[in-house]
Amino acid sequence: MVVKVKNVVKRYEEKIALDHFNMEVNEGEILGLLGPNGCGKTTAINCILSLLKFDKGEIQVFGRKMTPNSYDIKRQIGLVPQEVSVFENLTVKENIDYFCGLYIDDKNTRRQYVEEAIEFVGLKDYVRFYPRKLSGGLKRRLNIACGIVHKPKLIFLDEPTVAVDAQSRNFILEGIKKLNREGSTVIYTTHYLEEAEMLCNRIIIMDNGKDIASGTIEELKAMITTSEKIVIRFVNIEDEVINKMYKIPHVIDIERNGEDFIIKFENGINNLSNLLSFIAEYNLTYIKLYSQLPTLNDVFLELTGKELRD
Amino acid sequence: MNIIRNYIYQGKNLFRDGTFLFWAMVYPIILAFFFNLAFSSMMNVNFDDIQVGIEENNYIFPILEEIEFINIHKITQDQVDEKLFNEEIDAFVDSDLHLTVKKSGIRQTIIKEVVEQIKQTVKLNRPIDGTEFSVNYVAGKNQESNSVIIIFYSLIAMVSTYGVFAGIETASLMQANLSNLGLRINATPLKKQNFLIAGVIVSLLLNLLANTGLLLFINYVLKIHLFTNIAYSLIFIILGNLLGVILGIFIGVSNKKSPNVKTAIAISLTLFLSFLSGMMGPWIKAIIEKYAPFLNRINPISIITNNLYRINLLGNTKSLGEGIAVLLIYSMVLLIGSYVFLRRKSYDSI
Repeated sequence: MVVKVKNVVKRYEEKIALDHFNMEVNEGEILGLLGPNGCGKTTAINCILSLLKFDKGEIQVFGRKMTPNSYDIKRQIGLVPQEVSVFENLTVKENIDYFCGLYIDDKNTRRQYVEEAIEFVGLKDYVRFYPRKLSGGLKRRLNIACGIVHKPKLIFLDEPTVAVDAQSRNFILEGIKKLNREGSTVIYTTHYLEEAEMLCNRIIIMDNGKDIASGTIEELKAMITTSEKIVIRFVNIEDEVINKMYKIPHVIDIERNGEDFIIKFENGINNLSNLLSFIAEYNLTYIKLYSQLPTLNDVFLELTGKELRD
Repeated sequence: MNIIRNYIYQGKNLFRDGTFLFWAMVYPIILAFFFNLAFSSMMNVNFDDIQVGIEENNYIFPILEEIEFINIHKITQDQVDEKLFNEEIDAFVDSDLHLTVKKSGIRQTIIKEVVEQIKQTVKLNRPIDGTEFSVNYVAGKNQESNSVIIIFYSLIAMVSTYGVFAGIETASLMQANLSNLGLRINATPLKKQNFLIAGVIVSLLLNLLANTGLLLFINYVLKIHLFTNIAYSLIFIILGNLLGVILGIFIGVSNKKSPNVKTAIAISLTLFLSFLSGMMGPWIKAIIEKYAPFLNRINPISIITNNLYRINLLGNTKSLGEGIAVLLIYSMVLLIGSYVFLRRKSYDSI
């Protein structure tokens, strides 16, 4: 176990930021902390890193209690904070070299690592630039380079793709996969659903400071009653016929979204053929029909009663 | 971590910081330039050749003739008005040793004091030869006229405390609850005390460099020679730097205001203390000395100003201990105060 968080409570005066929060991270995985803004993701990271005091609970990193003076543990950790946190008056290369030097003493190793990090984040053409001269996406890449340059065993990436253009986002996500392939365990916070689906081996869904569900994407989807959604647009249909659709096997809900109807099915087979039989029986005409598997948003919706939109 | 690398990078970061560069390096030079423009006429009085009119039969004629900085004009009573009007002489000394002047000023005051001294010496039947006029009067009057120089000592005192800006920057980088970079640095294995020591040393060195720039500018560009005793002066300048850096760290760590607000606090505080120490005009210092003298004893910028003045213009290097002690006490108190805030390792909120 790389990280173990047990029943951690963190209060900001009256507000509970972490409410008996639990988390376990295994070596070699990419764990996603998924939740809306303000749900406690960053607070959880800051508590794990012993930057924030917490009121109750226990945190272990690499099997040991994490304290502000756990320099040996800190040596194995890399942090990419949510805000770009670099020296504005040092160049790209100087920044990366500075942070690398906080971990790596050997000059040659440091030089090699700095070059590799620059290559890794694609900033080779910008090494002499000051951060203020970089675009938002390039600054984010620098922010990442400073956090991963020393090749840490455990990397915290706190919403590294916020306000990043599509090109840089893909670059960053591919980079994180590569880091993981090279042996780093990654804890990745995000409120972007598709990022979590694309990147993470396992996800913890957070809301109001609580871990409301955790598991692989398949495990999370299996937790909800909806197993399939069929979206259909009829040419013309009466409300009475809509109500009769509830009699189709496994239908649990029908939502109207503009001109489309979203028919939700619980676990079952032949949902599409059952719907098509119904359409033939009532001689209905449709102009659009497709089936969808549930998304993480459906999981979040069903677990919390609210949507987690990008 | 290689400590030297930490020093180098902190130094680079600070040296390239626009706020630091402006306030510590450019702003003092601008101030010195404008002070010089405003007060240069008051400082550039030449006392070497004070013109004195006197009748040849006056008994002090031979005495005045021997005084180096006095240029004797043998004139008669009838020529006095014309010579004074044409400003060929600064004063006329009659046979009763009364002075006739066209206007009052430093030159006339010097002549008056010289004549008074001769009168007293003669009355006491002491030999005139033993009186050293240049020391007693000219040096004294130079100092008096150079009360304007207090402005420059006060300016130097103020900028010696401008390590305050570097101190604020260092504090901000050390605390996870003060800056994003502080948060990141706190997550690394870098020990806080190492960062602090590097920050203090780098801040001191850079501010001393900035001070050196100002002193060179005053000495070689403005051609105002302020220092006759560099060693003792340096003690106070370095103590000012130390106090400034520690004050900056205290301002930096003791509250969660924005960096701009903290900079504004530092500027206001140092400017106000400099104002009280006579930077905007020596008369302020004189008023405070008259009505609230304790302020001059406790104002750190006044302490530095007064001691620079005493060391370099009065040549007095005794009794410097009180000033040194007060500055060290301030530094210690602020350091302890800063430590109280800095020792927090984890934060209640970030």
